[in-house]
Amino acid sequence: MNLNLSIRSRITLLVAIAFLTSLAIGGYAVFKSNVNANKVQLVTDGVFKSALASADLVSKLRTVQIATMDMVSAPDKQMAEQAKAIIDTQRSEIFGDLAFQEQSATSETQKGLVRQAVESFNNYFDAISQTAQFKLAGDTDTAQALLFASVAQYQREMSSIVDTLRVEKNRSKDEAVQDMNEGMISAVTTISILTVLALAGLSILGWLLYRRVVQPIGRMQSMMTQIAESHDYSQRLPVEADDEIGRSTAAFNTMVNEIDKSSAMLQQKTNDMLALLQNMPQGVLAIEGDGRIHPEYSAYLETILQSGDISGRPFMEVVFSHASLSRDTLSQVEAAVGACLGEDEINFEFNSHLLTSEFEKQMADGSNKILDLNWSPITDAAGNIVRLLLCIRDVTELRKLAAEATAQKRELEMIGEILAVDAGKFHDFVVSTIKLIDEIDVLLHESLAPSQDVLAQLFRNMHTVKGNARTYGLRHLADLAHEAERSYEELRKPHPTLAWDHNALIDELNIVRAGVEHYARINEVSLGRKTGGASEHVGENYLLVDPVRIQEAIHYLERINTSNISELVAATEQVHKVLRLLGTERITQTLGEVFSSLPSLAAELGKVPPIVEIEDNGCFIKAEAGATLKNVCMHLARNAMDHGIESPDERSLAGKPLAGRIALTLEMSNERFIMALADDGRGLALNRIREAAVARGLLKADQPADDEFVAQLIFHSGFSTASKLTDISGRGVGMDAVKSFIERMGGTLAIVFSDAHEGAEFRQFKTVIELPGEYAVQVEGEELERIAFHAGHHEGEAESVPNQSFAPAAVREGAR
Amino acid sequence: MAKILVVDDSSTVRNEVVSYLKGKGYSVSEAVDGKDGLDKIKSDGELKLIISDVNMPNMDGLTMAEKVRSDLKNPGVNIIMLTTENSPAMKERGKAAGIKGWIVKPFNGDAIVGAVGKLVS
Repeated sequence: MNLNLSIRSRITLLVAIAFLTSLAIGGYAVFKSNVNANKVQLVTDGVFKSALASADLVSKLRTVQIATMDMVSAPDKQMAEQAKAIIDTQRSEIFGDLAFQEQSATSETQKGLVRQAVESFNNYFDAISQTAQFKLAGDTDTAQALLFASVAQYQREMSSIVDTLRVEKNRSKDEAVQDMNEGMISAVTTISILTVLALAGLSILGWLLYRRVVQPIGRMQSMMTQIAESHDYSQRLPVEADDEIGRSTAAFNTMVNEIDKSSAMLQQKTNDMLALLQNMPQGVLAIEGDGRIHPEYSAYLETILQSGDISGRPFMEVVFSHASLSRDTLSQVEAAVGACLGEDEINFEFNSHLLTSEFEKQMADGSNKILDLNWSPITDAAGNIVRLLLCIRDVTELRKLAAEATAQKRELEMIGEILAVDAGKFHDFVVSTIKLIDEIDVLLHESLAPSQDVLAQLFRNMHTVKGNARTYGLRHLADLAHEAERSYEELRKPHPTLAWDHNALIDELNIVRAGVEHYARINEVSLGRKTGGASEHVGENYLLVDPVRIQEAIHYLERINTSNISELVAATEQVHKVLRLLGTERITQTLGEVFSSLPSLAAELGKVPPIVEIEDNGCFIKAEAGATLKNVCMHLARNAMDHGIESPDERSLAGKPLAGRIALTLEMSNERFIMALADDGRGLALNRIREAAVARGLLKADQPADDEFVAQLIFHSGFSTASKLTDISGRGVGMDAVKSFIERMGGTLAIVFSDAHEGAEFRQFKTVIELPGEYAVQVEGEELERIAFHAGHHEGEAESVPNQSFAPAAVREGAR
Repeated sequence: MAKILVVDDSSTVRNEVVSYLKGKGYSVSEAVDGKDGLDKIKSDGELKLIISDVNMPNMDGLTMAEKVRSDLKNPGVNIIMLTTENSPAMKERGKAAGIKGWIVKPFNGDAIVGAVGKLVS
């Protein structure tokens, strides 16, 4: 069967074989029936006829017999001749019949019998002729005698022959009929067998063909089922022949290949989407037709909702449980979603305004989250909404930052407003405003049922507050006062829409008061414009704010995109920095005077002006600490120049550079501001301190005392080691006074040894000032480059150096 | 401009919807309940759109919609229901009656006008 024939050729071949087979069988049947028809012809034309003729012969013989008897017994000649005529007629017929019989005789026996019959007839008819001659001659008696003698005898003989012949003929006729029947039966049998064989053969061929067509189709079908079940597209069917089925199989394989490719692509896309869902920092879910959540949602959704139980649950429960939304709002959301799902997409347009876009939700851990919702419909080809896609963002941080940015902006605006007002006038404004507010407060507390006079007073006071605030351009306060003023105005009307609510009015007043206090606080704390204190009238000296920087920060806040968290973070941090830096100054500014005094000091002492090294670690000094720090540092620096740093001769003997070094380090640690000052001079003269202490009775001569104890002695009131009072360090303001300045600010002052030479005459040390953190601000990214500068070469420049840097005067050592 | 019928027993809602639609130049007629609505639909073959409340006396909106389809055999007219809630059963009935949309109250006039524009064009 592995002939390379197409199915079409095979079917044609099968039909041809079937046609030829039926043709052959039909031909055979026709042939057989022809043979049989001939036989029938033969039997009917020959055997039957001759059988019939033989019977006929008997009857004709009988006719002759009767005619002969009639002739003999005829009364007259005429009748005798009539009878004779009949006999003659019969005679010729009988001989004709006999000739036929002889001709159609099928056997020698029949032929013999016919010849015998012919001979017998001849004799018979001869006897009748003789009898007729006698009769016609009128000799009736002789005729009769002859009739009975010879004619009758011949007649008997004849009859017996003819009978025999008839019997013989009948027998041969039966044989012929039987033969014919047998032939027919055999033909029928043969045809039947042939037909059965042909049918069987054709069936086998047909079945083979069927198998060839159906088997591969069946294989294809089962593979399709298998692929559909397993989704394994790697399987292929063998192509067995180059016929239609083979080509179909090849096409099937190509199709599977294409499906394989596109399903791989689909798989890839699905994977991409799943990866997206897994990794996107957004909650994404789809709401199905029954209001339940589709099993595939973004992984981050669980983080946002703090729940892993999401798949297949009703969205109202998952998303909106513990929401700060009214029952009615929630039912509107539910109804709107219901109106969209399974309906025409136009329903989304109708109802999307009811789909909440932001709400606050109380989480399982007790915290509150602000969630931003974005809804979109997913439609099918017919434009019906099959699912709703819901994107959820946690905007808690964003909103918080935005609120912070708003607060910062308000703060900056308030700062700008305050800066525009002279410090003294501002102070007066605050004082008078508080007084007005206090008056209102008293009236509110006293009047449970207010009179028109009281109301007039309330209104007047608040109107003044508002007016003053406006005059000075304190917009935020003016707004607050305006609200309160409107309330009082309303209450004064004959038919106020507002009821006299004692507590509400007090609350409202407190808001105004808080506003005033907020302004005052900014003025004093952030801007350091404390005024009114008679002893410390610092006034505008403390104005350390660059109004341009404030304006820039306000503009920055106005421009930021409040939906972008990183931008918001950057902005609030930037502004926070600006706000923190309000009322601060760089240490170089604080100590500018100290540094600029060093060269002349050095000259007085016959020393080389020192090099100052500063490492500020981004620490800025609050204005209120500036004066104290300046005084303290001035004292410490003078001490360093006087007692610490040696004369040029001594230094060169010790192999040190002629110019001494003073190092200043600033840092914040555990919310404490630490400032350390050290010099590279000879160190703390512990022996001289001991001697001086003994001399002053602070220490017994033989009392053992470790270096730390001795070092502390310099903080005793009036303590001095100076052999002579110099202008520089021995002017009565001792270390005890310096220490008490620092302690008054809540800080400490200590001598810390920086070498390990316990018991040595001189020990290296640093003076460490520790202050509460509030006196300084550390701002990352604002560090001074570690600088060292030669104070002597740039006298006075430190003072004029701008806030940011020492650059012009600096001898840079480079960053560490 | 297309003809629109607004059916609602509340004159407030009716006036609201009607004023939005009239503002856009639609020719709007009104009916006070389902029965009234059905009569008006019968007598006006040019209606393009019916906006109807669900809960109304005499005949509710859904029944009216069903009758529009079954008795009047009027397949050309779009029907939109105004509702406050929608159960699956309601939606099922609505679907069978060929209701095109559900507007959940409180509705948004602009959204209605926008969507109506698409429906009747």
